[in-house]
Amino acid sequence: MKKKLIAGVLAAGMTLALAACGGNSGGGDSAGGGSSSGGTAITIFNSKMEIQSQMEEMAKKYSAEKGVNVEVYYSSDTVAAHMSTRYASNEPYTIAMVDAKDIYSLGPEHAIDLAGEQWVGNTTQAITVGGKVLGFPVCVEARGVIYNADAIKNVTGKDFNPDSIRTTADFQAIVDELIAGGMAAPTGVMKEDWSLGAHYLAQVYEEHADPDAFIAGIKDGSIKLADDDVYNKLMDTFDILKDNNYAKASAISAEREVTEQKLAEGELAFMFGGNWDWDVINAYNYSENMGMMAVPSDLGDYNTKLVGGGSKYFYIDNGVSAEQQQAGKDFLNWLVFETAGQEFLVNDCNLVPAFSNITLAVSNPLGASVKAYADKGALTPNYTYLPDDHYAKNGASFQKYLTGQIDRAGLADEITAYWATAEVGAH
Amino acid sequence: MKQNTLGYKVKQYLMFAGPGTLLFLCVVIVPFIYGLYLTLTSWDGVSATKPFVGFANFASAFADGDYWSAMGRTVIYSVFAVILINIVAFALAYLVTMGIKGQNFFRAGFFVPNLIGGIVLGYVWKFVFNRAFVAIFNSTSLLSTTSGAMFCLILVSVWQYAGYMMLIYVAGFMSVSTEVKEAAMIDGCTPTQAMWNVTIPLMRSSFVQCIFLSITRCFVVYDVNLSLTNGEPFGSSVMAAMHVYNQAFTYKNYGLGQAEALILFIVCAIVGVTQVMVGKKGEVEA
Repeated sequence: MKKKLIAGVLAAGMTLALAACGGNSGGGDSAGGGSSSGGTAITIFNSKMEIQSQMEEMAKKYSAEKGVNVEVYYSSDTVAAHMSTRYASNEPYTIAMVDAKDIYSLGPEHAIDLAGEQWVGNTTQAITVGGKVLGFPVCVEARGVIYNADAIKNVTGKDFNPDSIRTTADFQAIVDELIAGGMAAPTGVMKEDWSLGAHYLAQVYEEHADPDAFIAGIKDGSIKLADDDVYNKLMDTFDILKDNNYAKASAISAEREVTEQKLAEGELAFMFGGNWDWDVINAYNYSENMGMMAVPSDLGDYNTKLVGGGSKYFYIDNGVSAEQQQAGKDFLNWLVFETAGQEFLVNDCNLVPAFSNITLAVSNPLGASVKAYADKGALTPNYTYLPDDHYAKNGASFQKYLTGQIDRAGLADEITAYWATAEVGAH
Repeated sequence: MKQNTLGYKVKQYLMFAGPGTLLFLCVVIVPFIYGLYLTLTSWDGVSATKPFVGFANFASAFADGDYWSAMGRTVIYSVFAVILINIVAFALAYLVTMGIKGQNFFRAGFFVPNLIGGIVLGYVWKFVFNRAFVAIFNSTSLLSTTSGAMFCLILVSVWQYAGYMMLIYVAGFMSVSTEVKEAAMIDGCTPTQAMWNVTIPLMRSSFVQCIFLSITRCFVVYDVNLSLTNGEPFGSSVMAAMHVYNQAFTYKNYGLGQAEALILFIVCAIVGVTQVMVGKKGEVEA
């Protein structure tokens, strides 16, 4: 009888333990780690891989100084995928760093209104949806052509002035000059679908005065993409990048790291990219004088501007406690108004701040270029409403163009076919 | 105490298999049923509301051309990979049971690729294809052409699984007693005839197992696909599982992705079960 009793107790105990494992997923306050002694605990989701170690370092210092327990998480999943698993397990972050489009898709349901915050007046890049300020811009990022001025000077013997390259003809001329001077292939092209689809192709929409109307035109057939002026002029420039690509024979297997290393070390002179590429270039023995210039094209005005704006946004979740929300707001204020926070953004993370009151100089050359353009107001805004599969599907089509499988009209056809069923995000 | 009453049996079951059953229900059955429910919604994966749409997702899944071309690709990949994996594994098993010197060392060596995770393995081979081969043969990378990328995927899968299947074949070889083989030889069989007519029929269950394992694994391949080709070039090496993942999480059509996953599961189950049934039918005993 005794044995039976023990067995029964054991079985019941094991079952209970199991039930306990499955049962604690409710409630919103499941900040990781148990060290919630004193002060509020907040969680921050970081989606910029390159600043993860800085974020963790900062969390330690911030926790010690402010008595708020900060935990930083990172995921290599896409932002949307990661957030959906977090919401599915009912574990929202206090503050989450997401892309602009995610603010539009997640924000109205999950973010609190930050309109009352002081920093709102210091930036032009905050995201407002339906009258509510939902997104805090973490930094400014922009796309353009990255150049290696030292490499160019080595070949041509003259100082390189990026402002002298405006039109497609200017660009062709400097490329020809470099080739004549002995640089076998002066350009590199990143074959990644996000670079081709989300960054280069997106310019075709962004360099129209009204991107919404342009896309609507493609959808209803009133605009033929293959005959579109902006498309053709941007593709003219892309052809120069493509035809002088160091990896022309196997453009599709060129690795990003290799391309950027060649650019950094001066084997190449130009590559289409953005200031985030500094984190890759940084890892190599880079040349001293590098920078970014507008994508050369015959498109008046647009060839003097980089394309970009606020990138990566923080939002505070409405599913966490009021104390956590307040701690989140305090953290955002710390970033904007306190010296330590500003230094963290600019010096530690190498980001270009989106706030006019932050005057610290950006030390990395690509970031410095972006800041210079941003200060002049020479940024063409991002079009942030492209559907989630836009970059992957059109990036694949663009890769076909890059390898010569389809021509410009073929690419236009595939993009038009994509838009036949796709819808831009609500805004 | 009576041992054949229903109450006793239920108690016995709960005591010994209860925790296991509960765990299985929690992590397999319940999510599966919940997943079935999600196929009937147009949920985007994040929203709090899950609008009910009936069977619309299945209609979209059948109309999703990209999905079916990914499925077609998966079938082609699986056919080649399964055949090659089993041929290579059988040959390896034969070699390491012949009694050559250091055969245990070789067994361990062939098994090692299986211990490396698919993700790491994909990156290692990516380096080999993109850098090493390019430098040695001074050619363009195999991964840059559509058929080349498929070839690489098959090659890497064969390399990964052959060692694992080899172990099952080794067990099969060892289970065939030498007496039967000797008897066949005395009756006048050549070694090849003994292999075909005695050893292989007696090892049939090993074949059934290995083919089943390799089919089910190849159909849902994801990790090697992700790290080796990531669907490139131009989306031409996206396998069904990768398409399902992208559909559900990247393109935020969770309901549709779930419906496509269910179809993939059904196809995989039908192929696997049919193969086992056909294979089991002809099993013989010594």
